[in-house]
Amino acid sequence: MRTNAIPRDEGRPGAAGPGVSPSEGFGREALGHLDALYDHARRLAGNAADADELVQECYARAFAGARTFVGGNLKAWLFKILRNVFIDLRRRGQPQPVVGELDVLDGADERELLRDDRELDHLRRLVAGDIEAALGALSEEARAIVLLDVEGFTETEMADVLGCPVGTVKSRLSRARTLLRERLKEYGR
Amino acid sequence: MIDCREMRPLAAGYAAGRLAAPERAEAAAHLATCAACRERAAIEGALDDALARLPRHRAPAALRRALEERLAAAIPSPAASPPRRRARGLRGWGAALAGACAAAALIVTVARLPGVRGHATGGLVADVVSDHLRVVSSARPAAIESGGIHQVKPWFTGKLDFAPRVAFSGDDEFPLVGGNIGHLDDRKTAEFLFKHRLHSITLLVFMPDGLSWPAGPGKRLGRLDVDEEIARGFSVLLWRDQGLGYALVSDVNLRDLEQLATQINGG
Repeated sequence: MRTNAIPRDEGRPGAAGPGVSPSEGFGREALGHLDALYDHARRLAGNAADADELVQECYARAFAGARTFVGGNLKAWLFKILRNVFIDLRRRGQPQPVVGELDVLDGADERELLRDDRELDHLRRLVAGDIEAALGALSEEARAIVLLDVEGFTETEMADVLGCPVGTVKSRLSRARTLLRERLKEYGR
Repeated sequence: MIDCREMRPLAAGYAAGRLAAPERAEAAAHLATCAACRERAAIEGALDDALARLPRHRAPAALRRALEERLAAAIPSPAASPPRRRARGLRGWGAALAGACAAAALIVTVARLPGVRGHATGGLVADVVSDHLRVVSSARPAAIESGGIHQVKPWFTGKLDFAPRVAFSGDDEFPLVGGNIGHLDDRKTAEFLFKHRLHSITLLVFMPDGLSWPAGPGKRLGRLDVDEEIARGFSVLLWRDQGLGYALVSDVNLRDLEQLATQINGG
């Protein structure tokens, strides 16, 4: 199966794929995902100015690397570029943990959340502001995977966007949602 | 049949109706016998509903306009004839380049930017833009992370057949973040990676002999003649100084690049 390279090989002659520069159709379809990308960027970056920069750079790379897209889910490809831009621009120079918070086997998903009969009712009563605040209090890593899931990506697509195996997506998503539920207990009471 | 521990990571997917058939059947069989896991699946469903209530941030109109302009600039114009270039003999590459040059030529024609010439140096400009894209698109762009110019410059020793002269070691506005060895046509280049806010700027230093260099005077910048180009939406500055060629490439505007070029030249 051919997989989409993300446009990091631009400039290497052997990397030429089918299309060359972006066709108008490709460009229009890519811009059709602008709102979704901006929303994701906004939640990753936490403010409008940085989200703007992230999305601009994402599309610059997407248009320049259009020939590396060989078909499949264009939205997932764009999210993958956005993720790389975010990592390149925001985290450069900061030490990266080899093992992320969501990969630590601290038993967070093994132990039951404290039994709380009211949790279901509580979740149903939460307003958007509560959810937004709880999500904002999560780590970038946890927030990103929860939001990719909300965006409707399959586990395979999320694995592609995040650059990890599908099995890792399953466990990370499960842990991230557990952390979110823990946070949500503090809101809307 | 799966147990509660195996059911746990499936609960969310089950609630969202996202499991593949075999897992769904296993989950359903377990849930039929386990009230605790049924409750967990209901909670996961309620969490999905809560997340669905998140407000969405729509892209600002100005951003949409800027991207539409960027796209228009990147689409090759069927009317513009691509400039001649050295043969590379690689399929796809020439066509990509022709598209980029056509786009660059189009911008030059429409924008009539002062000091900008598009044709004679199309190959060199396209090459340095491609090099910049390769640098900024790679997940780990810098072979040497910068602790300042005195860490980056010695790193090149023994890796190049020239010593890149760069008088600027970065500041708050243009921090130097790293260096790398790149290739331009048939020769090695020293790549210096600067930042300007969230933008990436690549400085290439190389031996300029035999490259199709712009003819005629460019823009006067301090003691140097600098050739200013725009290609694929990127700003490019080219100049020669004391036997070395320099190229600055970025998506920042030409004025910002001029400011950095002046500092690189010790001005």
